[in-house]
Amino acid sequence: MMIKYFNKFKLISFIFIIFFSSFSINILVSVEPDEVLQNQKQELRAREISKNIRCMVCQNQSIDESNASLARDLRILIRDKIKEGKSNTEIYKFLTDRYGDFILLKPALKYETLALWFLPFIFLILGIFVIYQHNKKSNKFK
Amino acid sequence: MSKKIFLFPFLVFSLILFIFFYLLLIERDPSDIPSNLIDKSIPQFKSKSLIKDSEYVSQENFKNKITLVNFFASWCKPCRDEHKYIQLLANNKNIQVIGINYKDNRKKATGWLNEVGNPYLYIATDKRGSIAIDWGVYGIPETFIVNSQGIIKYRHVGPITKKIYKKINFILNETK
Repeated sequence: MMIKYFNKFKLISFIFIIFFSSFSINILVSVEPDEVLQNQKQELRAREISKNIRCMVCQNQSIDESNASLARDLRILIRDKIKEGKSNTEIYKFLTDRYGDFILLKPALKYETLALWFLPFIFLILGIFVIYQHNKKSNKFK
Repeated sequence: MSKKIFLFPFLVFSLILFIFFYLLLIERDPSDIPSNLIDKSIPQFKSKSLIKDSEYVSQENFKNKITLVNFFASWCKPCRDEHKYIQLLANNKNIQVIGINYKDNRKKATGWLNEVGNPYLYIATDKRGSIAIDWGVYGIPETFIVNSQGIIKYRHVGPITKKIYKKINFILNETK
């Protein structure tokens, strides 16, 4: 009984570790002092947008983290657009019109991306179902 | 019934494995991202000409002709590699080649063209890289094929190789 309880605890903690380690903390920032906007509210908006925009050169970094010159250009462009009074949606549209949805680090929830967003959950449910079936069967033999 | 259920994950796993191996084996470049501008009109632009400071290059220069647009710079090594193919394409009487000089120094750019030869009919200057952003350019050299109606038909990222040169010629023959 004790051993069984301990294993359960181990299993749960293992799942928790895996789950939380997937949220890695991001400390990398490449924004240079001369780029920073005077208005703090606007700067925060710019940082928020930059974090969601893929650096097309390095591809697995956001432009907020990248040192590539195109990333810098885009960071400045985003800040210019904010100063012009453009909304976040307008800025995202400006970028996706030119670079496509690929420039968004998080793919948009669209008809074409439904499988991408929901297949993992379907597989999870399927997996739980298979394990459940398996356990039910093995319990019978006990 | 329950045995069949256990077969299912195995089949799914095999299928995924097969897809991954297939994607590994076929010839493709994962960093080559399709352009969002295909089948769209060329972005509006106007800039000073590299050759003549008093003249401007803009979308007006496309004039109902099939146009090859090439983003290049003197500091870009792959641009030198693809230069002979740009030259060959410039010899094609059915098309015109427009260059866009990306984030370059006028002196260095003209010096480079004097050295290797100038295949371009017009050369626009994109000092701050804003024209490139409008065209969705992320790594020069990049080459676009624009049809006579000013619609972008093809984009290639990276230097033109022998294989890409053949492909471009094939697409140019299809383009009106």
